[in-house]
Amino acid sequence: MRIKVAGTGLTKFGELWNKDLLDLALEASVEAINDSRLTIHQIDAVFVANMIYGKVSGQDHLGALIASTLGIKGASFRIEGACASGGLAVHLAIQSLLAGTYKNILVVGAEKMTDSSATEIATALMGAGSQDERRAGLTFPALYALMAKAHMQKFGTTRNHMASVAIKNHYHASLNEKAQYPFEISEEKVLESPVISSPFTLFDASPITDGAGAVVLSSDSTAPGVFITGSAVATDTVDLASRKSLLEIAATKEASQKALKQAAVEIKDINVAEVHDCFTIAEILAMEDLGFCPKGMGGEFVYKGHTRLGSKLPINTSGGLKACGHPVAATGVKQIIEIAHQLQKRAGKRQVDNANIGLTHNVGGSGATVVVHVLQI
Amino acid sequence: MSTPASIWRQHKKLSSYLNKIGRLLVWTKIHVAPSGFEHQTPYLVGIVQFANGEKKPLQIVDCVEENLKINQKVVTVIRKIGKAKSEDVIEYGLKVKPI
Amino acid sequence: MIGIVSYGAYIPKYRIKPSQIAQTWGKEVEDIEKSLGVLEKAVASYDEDAITQAIESANNALLNGQIDPATIGGITIGSESHPYTVKPSSTIVAEILGMGTDYLAADLEFACKAGTAGIQLLSGLISQNKTKYVLAIGSDVAQSRPSDVLEYTASSAAAAFILGKTNTIANIVDFTSFSSDTPDFWRRDTEKFPSHAGRFTGSPAYFAHVLGASNKMLKQTKMNPADFDYAVFHMPNAKFPKEAAKKLGFTPKQLEAGFIVEQIGNPYSASSMVGLAATLDVAKMGDKIFMCSYGSGSGSDAFVFEVTDAIKTHQQMNKQTVAKQIKNKEYIDYSLIARNILTKYRI
Repeated sequence: MRIKVAGTGLTKFGELWNKDLLDLALEASVEAINDSRLTIHQIDAVFVANMIYGKVSGQDHLGALIASTLGIKGASFRIEGACASGGLAVHLAIQSLLAGTYKNILVVGAEKMTDSSATEIATALMGAGSQDERRAGLTFPALYALMAKAHMQKFGTTRNHMASVAIKNHYHASLNEKAQYPFEISEEKVLESPVISSPFTLFDASPITDGAGAVVLSSDSTAPGVFITGSAVATDTVDLASRKSLLEIAATKEASQKALKQAAVEIKDINVAEVHDCFTIAEILAMEDLGFCPKGMGGEFVYKGHTRLGSKLPINTSGGLKACGHPVAATGVKQIIEIAHQLQKRAGKRQVDNANIGLTHNVGGSGATVVVHVLQI
Repeated sequence: MSTPASIWRQHKKLSSYLNKIGRLLVWTKIHVAPSGFEHQTPYLVGIVQFANGEKKPLQIVDCVEENLKINQKVVTVIRKIGKAKSEDVIEYGLKVKPI
Repeated sequence: MIGIVSYGAYIPKYRIKPSQIAQTWGKEVEDIEKSLGVLEKAVASYDEDAITQAIESANNALLNGQIDPATIGGITIGSESHPYTVKPSSTIVAEILGMGTDYLAADLEFACKAGTAGIQLLSGLISQNKTKYVLAIGSDVAQSRPSDVLEYTASSAAAAFILGKTNTIANIVDFTSFSSDTPDFWRRDTEKFPSHAGRFTGSPAYFAHVLGASNKMLKQTKMNPADFDYAVFHMPNAKFPKEAAKKLGFTPKQLEAGFIVEQIGNPYSASSMVGLAATLDVAKMGDKIFMCSYGSGSGSDAFVFEVTDAIKTHQQMNKQTVAKQIKNKEYIDYSLIARNILTKYRI
């Protein structure tokens, strides 16, 4: 496939009191449409990604709401797959373009989280888990903490290994004016912060964030640009306990293998990637499950600096979910934007030299949905 | 969240899980709880594997974390789930305790 | 003969000492355990209630007797801490135990004798051949106003007795009851905590009814205290049952096996029933057991039991004896009690 990323738009990520969900979605959308040089009338469909807005505000029907406010009268949809909503929206838009149904699609992922209390958000996010997990009083930090514990037990992964993910991503975020936390942090900060669910402290977890990201995708591949050449989704059990193994996110392997095959590239050809670091262990698992390093070696791989800007394989130059922020459904779209900018040499201070093949990895829940995209210039 | 009917359906499933012995594969201590569980913090939740191979996420009660071991034998018990609001039906469910 | 076919008890794991409670409220700590005769009491965890305790004790009874829950045709739960004022605890327990739908259920309240009232009432279903087995439970997460003197002893536990005609481990030789309208301890329908009438709870209340029922029972069965191997009385504290026993002619030795109040406090509806369970845990074939409960408001249920040879098998099956559960303890401070108050009363 060759689907063009014709335009991108991204709001600041953070605690944005003056903006509601519609404001954020519109801001990103207008920027993306302008960036694409297309007119409103050329946008055939709007795919909106959002996870919890209906629950916290009572407003559903977001596809129609956002499209009509933009003046778009074509097709509109809302897509939900927990934290993979953004990636799923991109994937589905691509399918419509490949089918020839639409020519130009606006995909916008938006989330407004900071109006609600932390407890309300933690509870709402557990909608991405199973009923049994909710009954057990689990939270998302706790679910990933269980995976971290298993990884530590089996492979000797340490809290320091995990902390290095947060430290690296904060460094990257310090170079990103859109990031929620554009500052560096120390290892002590990560290790000494309050424990939220053992072994995780506050700094092992991605924050609560408002934000929106939008891309205009086009099936017109005549002009040069950045193209999505692989797009795949894989599914696993929602309930973590029901997975075959706690030591991997099997759906990551499935989806990435499919996407790489579509793009006719191998994992070793990828020179920049945005992966789903909802918690520090998640990035370590991603390094292993995507195939950047052997299973069990992810901790060392990150700790040794092999994925920091300046190394051979910079991961999460945006700052990742941890430091750029994680407005849930916006993340998958933001990842596409970051890689597109890297390939187009629009990444400013975060620019990776010679980036020409990139990958995005977006996960829903504790690994029940994984979406992987491959982008090439 | 939990409607009377959904609690009713769930209670019917409990008798088949009484007196089941399992082993504790992994656990975490939760300090920041979702709503309805704040009064319990900190509490332990783990993944338990039963003899028939089934694995379930369950709260671990009546134990001191320092005494827990990987593959610890545990048995199912029935306890209150979360904290029902004043007017709500109480939900009972499975937890485990070490043996 | 109708009798006990199996039984089980449940005592929560946590313990607190009266001196710690006194310290919490800035009261005189010196010798408080000695004056009450209660060393420590059992405290239910934040996710336990009269229903979860009832399930544990009944589950033990079913396991110990290898009884299929579907064969139980009647269930009562006596408690003064039923989680619902309207909605029976007994059907929740029956459902979770797997009793099906073919049973009579009723929740009972009669202060600390609600559980034993169930034994007397349900035995009627057996004698009428309505069902093979019935299940009488006494379970309480005893309530007291925080900082009130009752807080030193009000505790939590449950005991469950399965009655039937076949394979009994202890036969019910006879029973009787003695009742009157006596306002010694009560809780109005919208009140959170019970009230009591101080010294009025003694002579006209506890003693009048325990002595009344016990003397009636001895007369009815034409037996003397010396004929018994064991005696169990309701134990609101260590003093009252010892005094009642003495007045009736029972010896301290007869009380020993069932004298649980010193170690776990007063679990209200479960008090005499857990005492009976502790006694049966050590009894031998042919032993005669005298029991008299007391419930404020007031009334006493008295029983005479005779142990059969089947007791040995039960003792071998029973992995959760009262003694074992008394020993399986962990000390806590007032913080668990504070949390329980906050969650139970939804403050």
